[in-house]
Amino acid sequence: MSAAGDLDGPGLAPRAWLVWSIAAVSVAVLTNNPVYRGLVALVALNVLLAWLPPGRNRKPLAIALAVAAIMAALINVLASHTGADVLLRFPEGLPLVGGPITLESLAFGGAIGLGLVAALLAVAPLSLVLEPHDVVDAMPASMERTGIAVATSMNLVSGIGRTFVSVRDAQQMRGWRPRGLRSWNEVLVPVVLTVIEDSVLLAEAMEARGFGAGRRTSYSRHAWTRWDVTVAGSAVAAAALFAVMRLAGVAMDWYPYPTLALPPIHPLLVAGSIALVLPALRRR
Amino acid sequence: MIGSRALGLGVVALMLAALASFAPVSAMVPTCAAAGAHHAALVVDHGDGSAVTRCVAFDTRQISGEQLLTLSGIAWSGQTFGGFGEAVCALDGEPARYVDCPGKESYWAVFVSNGGGAWQLAGVGISSLVLGDGDAEGFRYVPASGVAAVPSSPAGLCPASTPASASASAPTSRVSGSTSPAIGPSATGSSATGGETAGPSGSLAASASAWSAAAATGAAAVTRSASSGPIPAAPGGPDTGLLAASVAGGALVGLAFLRLAARRRSRK
Repeated sequence: MSAAGDLDGPGLAPRAWLVWSIAAVSVAVLTNNPVYRGLVALVALNVLLAWLPPGRNRKPLAIALAVAAIMAALINVLASHTGADVLLRFPEGLPLVGGPITLESLAFGGAIGLGLVAALLAVAPLSLVLEPHDVVDAMPASMERTGIAVATSMNLVSGIGRTFVSVRDAQQMRGWRPRGLRSWNEVLVPVVLTVIEDSVLLAEAMEARGFGAGRRTSYSRHAWTRWDVTVAGSAVAAAALFAVMRLAGVAMDWYPYPTLALPPIHPLLVAGSIALVLPALRRR
Repeated sequence: MIGSRALGLGVVALMLAALASFAPVSAMVPTCAAAGAHHAALVVDHGDGSAVTRCVAFDTRQISGEQLLTLSGIAWSGQTFGGFGEAVCALDGEPARYVDCPGKESYWAVFVSNGGGAWQLAGVGISSLVLGDGDAEGFRYVPASGVAAVPSSPAGLCPASTPASASASAPTSRVSGSTSPAIGPSATGSSATGGETAGPSGSLAASASAWSAAAATGAAAVTRSASSGPIPAAPGGPDTGLLAASVAGGALVGLAFLRLAARRRSRK
């Protein structure tokens, strides 16, 4: 029984989850304003806390969030030397990082990082709350096979990691030690060959199970309830509000250069960001 | 379960009620045709200390900072930055030519004064600024480093009251305390080219041809006429938006802590 696929429980239809995630990511990327991005991140965090199944490993997500935020801020603050408030100066001779390090570039880097955090948290329910088959069910019928292929190839990424570790350990047991780039051939070639072999095996297994023979069938599909429609509708409305406001020319972006100033905040757009919180009102 | 759901609903209801009370009353495009002329002051402080001031009359209830600048007749050129709006690259002949906008050495800092209040550094471009009767828009050419000094006070530039009978179909402007030569109506049109861009010169004849080119980053627009383009939506005031965001953010943080506490309790 999946978290979202329970017909009798208060679950949310997989397709409603997909709509919500796409809308939340759209809001996060339609503006670079840290206020709206921060609100979307907080909303997505609340949704995740409400629906995260117990025992689910949250560490990879936490690491991904920290890395994304820190890297974005660091790259911008080191590479951009614009801004009025200079925090410190690196020698001009240093390539790329040489020059003034400014408060404005730090703030803008933070806003970029916040956008990545918001987007990651918005798509996190698709992997942490839904089961893989729910995600495939949520795809439109025309994209079902593509979805399966993409999901399968994503699974291969972790498989490559496992293969790399086992091959490296095996080679080290045979006396292999890393000595420059060329020595890694002895690890990388077996890894590539093993991954190709695994892919062929997986393709054959999928074909044996009827992949490509016709439309995917399922025992039962989640019927859309009023709650699903409300969640999906409010999410679409929120994304549409941001799109319309942008087209109308309302100032929603934020540029801290050359002098740091508060971002413009429109109450309607704050309300639009909050409209995404609906899924958090129910728990699994 | 029911208790937490009721709690969640209560928090969201509170947030929505708070947001509803903050929602701007004005329409999105306030093309109000109310009778009576309104006035807004304009202060331009050059880097050499000289200042140009104007009092601009307009018929609509609100006007954008870009329209006010255009109506004042002071020559300017700008560049559009996405959702930020129009940034002023050169104004009243300063700088005479530019490559970067905003300039790396100096730039035009934009300020707003609402209802005779103190100057506030604008966080958006002049096309996104909304000004009403009694407001003022200020520009000061300041060094790129350090805190931008505020322009001269706009006090006394415009009449304190705006009689309804003074309404006129065409916007008018008058000059007070100007240290620059009189300037005619600004030129219109835009184009994008690479390389150095000429800043607005002091007269129409020179400016029309000199600053139609754009900055290297493209999308530079010279002034528009007062009737072109919609007035940007009223932002509802920076304090209102900030308050709404603070309430919403605080409620969401509180809700997240409640969820975390509930998860910890259920684990025990």
